[in-house]
Amino acid sequence: MAGSQLKRLKASLKEKGVIGPQLSKKQKKRNAQDGKTSNNRRYQKAADLEGIREQFNPFDLKHNVRGPKFQVTTNRPATSNASKGRPTEAKSLGEERRRQTLLVELSRRHKVGGIVDRRFGENDPFMTPEEKMQERFVREKMSHKSSMFDLEDDDPSEGLTHLGKSLSFDGPDLVDDFEEDDISAESDAADDDEHRGSKRLRPSNDDFQDADHEEGQPERKKTKQEVMKEVIAKSKFYKAERQAAKDADEDLREELDMELPDLHDLLFNRKKAPSDKETNPAESAAAAKERMERDYDMRLRQLAQDRRAQPTDRSKTDEEKAQEESRKLRELEEKRLKRMRGEEISGDEVDQDAADIQPEDVPPNGPVLFRDNEEEDFGLGKGIKTRPTATELGFDDEDDFIIEDDLIASDSDLEPVESDASSNEEESDAEDDDEFTKGLLNEEETQNPVFNGQLTGTNISTDTKEDSNGLPYTFPCPETLDEFVQMTQTIPMEHLPTIVQRIRALYHPKLDSNNKAKLAKFVAILIQFLARSFEKLPPFSVLENLIRHIHSLAKSYPVETANEFRSQLEDFGRFRPLSPNLGDLVILSAIGTIFPTSDHFHQVTTPAGLLIARNLEKVPKKITDYAQGTYLSTLALQYQQVSKRYIPEVMNFCFNTLCALAPEKATKTLGYFPIHEPTPGTRISNAKSVAVRKLSPADCEQDEITDEDVISTKVAIVSTTIQLLDAAADLYGGKAAFFETFEPAKNILAHLASKPCRSKLPTTLIDQFTKLESKLDKMLSLAQVARRPLELHHHRPLPIKMAIPKFEDSFDPNKHYDPDRDRAELAKLKAEHKKERKGAMRELRKDANFMAREQLRMKKAKDAAYEKKYKRLVAEIQGEEGREANTYEREKQARKRAAKR
Amino acid sequence: MSGTVGEESLKRKRSKTSVKANKRSKAEKNDSNDEDDPQAEILLLENAILESKKNYNNITTLLEIAQKNGDDDSTQLALVSLCRVFLRLLASGNMSRRDGQSEKDIVVVQWLKKRLGDYKQIILSAFEDEESASTALTLAMRILQAEGKYTNDKDESNFPKVFLREIVDALVRKGSEDIRQEFCEKFLAEYTDIRFYTFKVLKDILSADSDESSNEDLFNNVLDLLSFFEDVPDSAEDMSQFYVDAPKKKSDPVKSVNQHKKQAQEAWLALFALDPNREQRKTVLQIMTKSIAPWFTRPELLMDFLTDSYNAGGATSLLALSGVFYLIQERNLDYPSFYRKLYSLLDANILHSKHRSKFFRLLDTFLSSTHLPAVLVASFIKRITRLCLNAPPAAIVVVIPWVYNLFKKHPLCTFMMHRVSRTPEEKEILENEGMADPFIADEEDPMETRAIDSCLWEVVQLQSHYHPNVATIAKIISEQFTKQSYNIEDFLDHSYSSLLDAELSKQVKKPPVVEFMIPKRVFLPQDPASGTEDSLLAKLWDFQ
Repeated sequence: MAGSQLKRLKASLKEKGVIGPQLSKKQKKRNAQDGKTSNNRRYQKAADLEGIREQFNPFDLKHNVRGPKFQVTTNRPATSNASKGRPTEAKSLGEERRRQTLLVELSRRHKVGGIVDRRFGENDPFMTPEEKMQERFVREKMSHKSSMFDLEDDDPSEGLTHLGKSLSFDGPDLVDDFEEDDISAESDAADDDEHRGSKRLRPSNDDFQDADHEEGQPERKKTKQEVMKEVIAKSKFYKAERQAAKDADEDLREELDMELPDLHDLLFNRKKAPSDKETNPAESAAAAKERMERDYDMRLRQLAQDRRAQPTDRSKTDEEKAQEESRKLRELEEKRLKRMRGEEISGDEVDQDAADIQPEDVPPNGPVLFRDNEEEDFGLGKGIKTRPTATELGFDDEDDFIIEDDLIASDSDLEPVESDASSNEEESDAEDDDEFTKGLLNEEETQNPVFNGQLTGTNISTDTKEDSNGLPYTFPCPETLDEFVQMTQTIPMEHLPTIVQRIRALYHPKLDSNNKAKLAKFVAILIQFLARSFEKLPPFSVLENLIRHIHSLAKSYPVETANEFRSQLEDFGRFRPLSPNLGDLVILSAIGTIFPTSDHFHQVTTPAGLLIARNLEKVPKKITDYAQGTYLSTLALQYQQVSKRYIPEVMNFCFNTLCALAPEKATKTLGYFPIHEPTPGTRISNAKSVAVRKLSPADCEQDEITDEDVISTKVAIVSTTIQLLDAAADLYGGKAAFFETFEPAKNILAHLASKPCRSKLPTTLIDQFTKLESKLDKMLSLAQVARRPLELHHHRPLPIKMAIPKFEDSFDPNKHYDPDRDRAELAKLKAEHKKERKGAMRELRKDANFMAREQLRMKKAKDAAYEKKYKRLVAEIQGEEGREANTYEREKQARKRAAKR
Repeated sequence: MSGTVGEESLKRKRSKTSVKANKRSKAEKNDSNDEDDPQAEILLLENAILESKKNYNNITTLLEIAQKNGDDDSTQLALVSLCRVFLRLLASGNMSRRDGQSEKDIVVVQWLKKRLGDYKQIILSAFEDEESASTALTLAMRILQAEGKYTNDKDESNFPKVFLREIVDALVRKGSEDIRQEFCEKFLAEYTDIRFYTFKVLKDILSADSDESSNEDLFNNVLDLLSFFEDVPDSAEDMSQFYVDAPKKKSDPVKSVNQHKKQAQEAWLALFALDPNREQRKTVLQIMTKSIAPWFTRPELLMDFLTDSYNAGGATSLLALSGVFYLIQERNLDYPSFYRKLYSLLDANILHSKHRSKFFRLLDTFLSSTHLPAVLVASFIKRITRLCLNAPPAAIVVVIPWVYNLFKKHPLCTFMMHRVSRTPEEKEILENEGMADPFIADEEDPMETRAIDSCLWEVVQLQSHYHPNVATIAKIISEQFTKQSYNIEDFLDHSYSSLLDAELSKQVKKPPVVEFMIPKRVFLPQDPASGTEDSLLAKLWDFQ
């Protein structure tokens, strides 16, 4: 488009039709008739003008200073060549914004007080007045909670009312306030119920209601009128309907109530009056129904939980049971193996484990405990006894104590155990069998929840009954060891297990919530009793029973038991680390049976093992030391019976004992174990004719004994040690260094069987030596044949670290490929910060500029005003003065003229 | 001389104070006539002596009082006052012979000297007594000081060696532990000259007594004195404190560090010549590198003692090891077949010994060189792992990381844990005959044991040790050797009690697993009908 700017402007204006030749009247008319409203046209024209203005102002756009750039091929996003922004527009926008914010602030500076305009949006420069008004209106509306009589309410349909009645003429309109009042008072469920009820009732009662009301809803939008009608109908029949529903529910419930006992009898096989059937007639039907449902749920759950399981359990055949047992056993064994290897058992598995154990010693619901169960349990007990597979596996799942019935009517189940456990108790047991049962039945009564409260309150006063042994049936649960000792002082040791059992029955955790803590304390006391047993040693059958009791209690209170055992061990390790007494030995033996000794790590057995080893490592001085050591070695080997872990101390002790007790000192070194020169009188002499006996715990005690006893003890120690070595050889048969471990044993045996020693030892011992020696010979040669060079390091070779950079397929130089995530994040933040900072600085600079400009402007305005005022004043004065001057002049002239004259 | 003037004034002051004290005591005497009678008498006697020569005879009276054993207080007082008297006499020069003295004066001087001798005897005999020993020592040292100060006529310093010898002799033979300790702390530690001459005197005493039979106590007592010094003085500046006047000559032996060391060295050597018994030897060896060797200007003189101890065997050898190592390191001692000897130290008791950690530190040092032959290192590894089969857990815990470090340093030895048979013949032989351990356990020369052809089956067995931590540590040998090395120090100081404490101090958080099955019998034999086997305990022991 050639020509001057003006020409071009004219041309474009003409083109848009802004200017043009005058239209004739006809044309104008036609245009108006075309439907082009004038308004429309005006907008159009404004837009056109804007476009033209833009087009003709080259400074509105920012251009590259040196013209457009050459086209290049790049994978960066192409920047538009032409314009990058509208500087003037941006500038004016910024200016405007500043004027609205900064300038206001500036003018308000140093001004105190005044009226703050809190009207909404008054200070918001970005709102048009219309918007402001609108917003204010909305706020106003929101602040007023629409009341019932609000004329400007959302639904204007009700119209005016008087005393709740509509003033309109077409129908009995009512206000819908009943909904708020009544329904909201009920629960949602009840509400639903009502609706359903009304639905049920409507066809018969509601004749002026259209029948297809419910179904019609989706098809046709109901008018307000209809809705209201419906609502009114509802409210009208509400009361009657509620009454009807309640009646119906009541009937139903009564009916159910009547049936329930039968049902119970049927299901639970037990007579128990349902206690919670006392209904409150004032209660609403809905609530009753709800309760009913809840009841039902509860029953259902109960049913699902235990009783329904019972028949299936019972219907299992013996084989199935055995199978299940063996499966369970296998699982436990797997877990044990895992622990032995030191692998972590995951938490849920442990939980599972705990859950497994839980139901079997704590049946979930109380009532089961109190059923009459003599025959049944007898059968159960027999079942355990006769079940062949479980016994073969050496596995006794239902231990005799823990099973709940055992605590009550345990005569049947426990009695065989008792009788063959303690032979001296047998005949007395047989005698007072009836007595025993009767007593326990009495006990059962006292344990009934009915008597429970009385029991917990007055358990000491009920202490009067005694069985034929003079044993009371009830005991207070001892709080300390001294109490327990005092309590049992008068009672012969043999009856201790009975007492423990009765205490356990009396304070069974299911009877009272406090009993749990009591029994936990009781376990600790029992353990302390074991530890103190060296003072007055009960027969081992009793100790054994106590240990079994502790074991079964430990299943319920593992932490308490473990803590008590650990504190006993600590005591032992701290105060008499190298001189164990019999109590310590018993404790160590108990640990060996109660806790799994095969675990890689166990909180109790590991320290126990360490303590044993430490005691074995000491230098023995007396014969009792040797005997104790032998006992501890036996224990140590028994600990490792399953896991077959190697205990150097046991080997050392056995070797050293044999060397020390040998009649003659060996001339050459027998191996790499430390030999402690025995104290004089330790070596065996003149034992040719001594009979070899078993060691007994009494040998571990410090007793003055006669010479013959000493010799027989020595011989017994040697014999036991030989047996220990035998057991150890069996245990460590597959070990890698079996040869090295047992070579000294062979040497020692050869030495013991040599001429000078042989003459002083009994022949049975010599036989033992030769037998073991030949066995070891065989095993050693086998071990040598089985030995292979070690190949420990067949590992996957370690990868060498790579130094080749990572290759990016679609590389974008604008992007950052930092493999370090944190660093990348940081870089991003930094860039953002820099950008923001620059922006903020620019803004601040512009603000400062603006302020300076404004201040200058204000100063100028002030100056101008001053100037104006000044000029005005000067002019005024000048005016006044002028007039005076003029009069003066005039006077002067006049005088002059007069003088001239 | 300012020193003497100062002394003079000091004396005067002292006399004044003593006079005052006397006055006071006199006043006291007036107050309580009966009680303080002997004390007052002593003070009167003392004053009389100081007043006039005529009263010198009072000295004998005082000496008699001092010798009397009855009253402790008066004995003490007499001793103190006598000390004062002699100090005054010495200071005033009344006890030294001078030119131009009359015969009578000379007689008096000689008499006084004799009395001084008597007095010294009394003081020294008081060393035996627990209570008075401390005072006696102070008095003796005071006299010693005065003697040294006032009897030197010429310029040459004149340390009263004779008296010091008497003192030290008394200390060493009769004195109690406490008094020796006091002597060490107050005098030996403080004063250079006393230290110097004590060393000298000790040497004399020891060499004079070397043939005596009852030298066990003597040895211990002298050892007490000598072992008091841990640090050797570095330079002459450290030795500026003198008890008696400092010698004027620059070149005086007392001032030289080397002379000091020489004296100490000779004293020690004299001590070693006493032929200590085992226990004494051990005590000496324990402080060898720290307190003894630094004193020696010629440590090679220790060689005899150390090699004797090293050859003695047992714990003594262990302790001597560090001394020998010191000599090898510092003095370039050529110890023939050192490693052979070291190897022989690895006997059955070493891992049970209480010096185990000490030994391991040294052993670690000795075998830290990568230039040692792999055969030798292999022998050590094999021997010590063999010993581990009978060792306490605390020892195994050290050995395994140590072996790991050695493997890292001597990769040739790693065949001991990974040996693949290559040829089919070899494999066949293995199949048929197994493998006999080529290691010769009885061989004394570590180069000849053929341990490098063996394998570490012992470590594999220890991987199933009863203590979980030990077992875990033993497993590092069969894992990949990714760690550069283990710090042996972390493993050294364990014992049964520390391991036990570590276990028992942990709180039980997770409920411990309880054996699922409750056994029918614990102690007693099982019911034969039940079919379960008896436990080992029930089998071997009789609990009926």
